Amino acid sequence: MQRFIGSLLIITATTGAGMVYGVELQRYLEKLLYIRHIVYMLKGEMEYSNVPLGEIFGRVAVRVKNPYRTWLKSMEWQIENREEDEFAKIWIRAVDKNLSELHLKSAHSIQLKELGTFLGQLDGKTSSRTMQLYINRLELEIEKVREGMSSKKRIGSCLGVMGGVFLVVILI
Amino acid sequence: MSGENREHQVLQVLAKSIRTVVEAQRLDFKKLQEVRMRVGKPLGIIYDNEEWLLPSGQAQAHLVTKDEIRETMEYVSHYSLYAYEQEMRQGFITIEGGHRVGVMGKAILEGDKVKNLQYISSVNIRMAHEVLGCADKVLPFLTKNRQICHTLVISPPRCGKTTLIRDLIRQISDGNTYIKGCTVGVVDERSEIGGCYLGIAQNQLGMRTDILDGCPKAEGMIMLIRSMAPQVIAVDEIGAPEDIHAIEYAMQCGCKMIASVHGMSMDEAKDKPVLGKLIKERRFERYIILGNEKKPGEIREVYDERGSLLCRDL
Repeated sequence: MQRFIGSLLIITATTGAGMVYGVELQRYLEKLLYIRHIVYMLKGEMEYSNVPLGEIFGRVAVRVKNPYRTWLKSMEWQIENREEDEFAKIWIRAVDKNLSELHLKSAHSIQLKELGTFLGQLDGKTSSRTMQLYINRLELEIEKVREGMSSKKRIGSCLGVMGGVFLVVILI
Repeated sequence: MSGENREHQVLQVLAKSIRTVVEAQRLDFKKLQEVRMRVGKPLGIIYDNEEWLLPSGQAQAHLVTKDEIRETMEYVSHYSLYAYEQEMRQGFITIEGGHRVGVMGKAILEGDKVKNLQYISSVNIRMAHEVLGCADKVLPFLTKNRQICHTLVISPPRCGKTTLIRDLIRQISDGNTYIKGCTVGVVDERSEIGGCYLGIAQNQLGMRTDILDGCPKAEGMIMLIRSMAPQVIAVDEIGAPEDIHAIEYAMQCGCKMIASVHGMSMDEAKDKPVLGKLIKERRFERYIILGNEKKPGEIREVYDERGSLLCRDL
């Protein structure tokens, strides 16, 4: 009986781990989609209101959830206080500090940081095009993640169950 | 505006290395008039009507670098130069406190008009200066039954016409012994009257004043009449025919006008093509002629609508 319960627990745990992996993949996709949503809002504010970056971040911050809100608010504050000699430093520091909990993949994190190096300096149209370019690249990444996701989720679940069974066989 | 406020407003837009040099001078910021930066040239200020090269008292002045100019522009524009394209086209950006940052560099043209500036090589921070009460002496001549008359200020450049108009607006808006406080609409095309920063006037314009910042005068006057129903409209440096037509329209709508124009005398104003017609039709009830022989802002003459002298050398 004990063996049976132990086996059941092992299989449940590994299956659960497989499912968690699938959920994590889904969450990662949602994070990328949310970042795209935020950049769209920033772009819209920039095009429509043509106000300085600090004000744009402040306006968008109130419409998004944490940790994105903290990220935008901290940039607004740093811009108001002229913390750095160039905006890119503020952007990169804020991404590192406030969005670290998103655990973005290195490539995605680099792309997001790169966006900051082009903002502010150029005329309105070029800034807006730069944001659109980032959105396009992000959409490609989102597509890549989305394409592989269903098969990865299935593999994760299968591996979870199979791994559990394998462990049970070995242990018994 | 206190000296500490001015100090903070100016220092926060200076590149860090320049800030250190200026801070070390222990200046009284009330006396500071200008900070001038030119790439490769000594850092200079106009302080108490005198030019100083910083750091003062040292053989070698601080030479301004390209990076310092770039950093200063980052701070001036809140890292958002794109948002100041319209201002850059005019050659200056207004910062908190109404101080004006003049910028020079290479012009980017679109057709035959200046679109923006690049390779910024000179930055000049000019401190805002309000002279509260400078209209005290002239105001009694501009009112009838505690109501303001249509007034035209005629003055050559740098004689204080904007400063005078600003104080007139404040007094008309707040009201006093000579005038009942009334709503004033200001169309501030170049942010000179209000020194607006993010749409909020940094100069004192009174409690009943509505300001339309950065808007062309003719269009702005019509907008004000339709939206805010002002009793008095104030505009600076009129000249274009559409401005004069808008003034005529505003007068017909029952608004009192306060306006200024470049000129040396009544005769010169009369000779102006469209404005001259309004003067000959006696639309304006008072004319103030400014000069700067003794000091800027000197009120040389005040005339009534018939051209009769009401007073001289106030």
